[in-house]
Amino acid sequence: MGINKVCRDDLLKLANEKRIYLEGNILKVISANDGDSEFIEYLNICKNKDKDSRIKRLSVTKQVQAQNKELVAKQRENDALMEELQTALEEAKNAEWEADKLREEAEKGKDKALEDLELMQKKTQFELIGQIVKVALWVILGVGIITTLLFAFTLVTGKENPILESTWSNLFGILLTNSFSIIGTIMGVKYATEKNE
Amino acid sequence: MNKMNKMINSILLVDDEDLFHLVFEDACSILDITLSLEALNSSDEADKKFSEWFPDDPNHERPECVFVDLNIIGSSFDGIELIRKINTDYGNGCVIGIISSSDDNQEIEKAKAAGAQFWLVKSDDIEPRLEQFRNDYDGYLDKSNPFKVYK
Repeated sequence: MGINKVCRDDLLKLANEKRIYLEGNILKVISANDGDSEFIEYLNICKNKDKDSRIKRLSVTKQVQAQNKELVAKQRENDALMEELQTALEEAKNAEWEADKLREEAEKGKDKALEDLELMQKKTQFELIGQIVKVALWVILGVGIITTLLFAFTLVTGKENPILESTWSNLFGILLTNSFSIIGTIMGVKYATEKNE
Repeated sequence: MNKMNKMINSILLVDDEDLFHLVFEDACSILDITLSLEALNSSDEADKKFSEWFPDDPNHERPECVFVDLNIIGSSFDGIELIRKINTDYGNGCVIGIISSSDDNQEIEKAKAAGAQFWLVKSDDIEPRLEQFRNDYDGYLDKSNPFKVYK
């Protein structure tokens, strides 16, 4: 495509005075008249400038594109990491919940074991007390019977023994008093234990 | 003038990435591939244009050559489907192919079956492939060239 002289001169004037040059694909369709070396040179300068700026822009655009790709890849990596983190957090929460549950169960087991132990201890204590009471009763009964037999023997034979008489009466007095005291203690202990439970 | 005769009259690029529009435009300009380049962001937009260009007048303003991205984000269908539509629904009237960063063989076969004439792999260094494509272009225009992948 050729251009008229006025236009050609204006373009050259713009280039010389203000360093403004034509750019873009229009340069590829404009042609200079044969022998117009000044305009041929002008068009060459324009084309070179346009090509240089396009090469520069292409390089920058490619850089931006590469950076964008890297960013997108990193974003994907971050997303994957976040997802993994989220999963790990959820797993940790679940593990914590399981641990709490197990701890609760262990505590319940411990409480039950303690209760059983206490019960066993009480049972043993009661059994021991029962045995002590039994032995004591047998001892008291034995002493009472022996003393009574001895006292009865002195009464039958007429050989009075004041020590034996006082011992018998004292023994029965003490036995009576202590019996009530023992019964009272046992009842009290039993009542107190029931109240605690 | 010979060089100008080898230029492609008009190119349509269908790609969702705006930055690639700039890369493609600059590369085409530097390599003197075309003087007229239009870029669209979605296959729907391209489909709409082709449906307007083709039905009544097959020689309407349709581009001479179309480059379609394989996966066009934000579109109802992918590049292969767009090629199928352009070739079968609206009539095969232009040189058409895929431009994609993928070089998956299955996808390449699908594109070929849909009527694509070439597959150009996008990468940082696209200019040598575009130059090769430009050299083969006459064969695509007269349908004498077989399907080719530019890797």
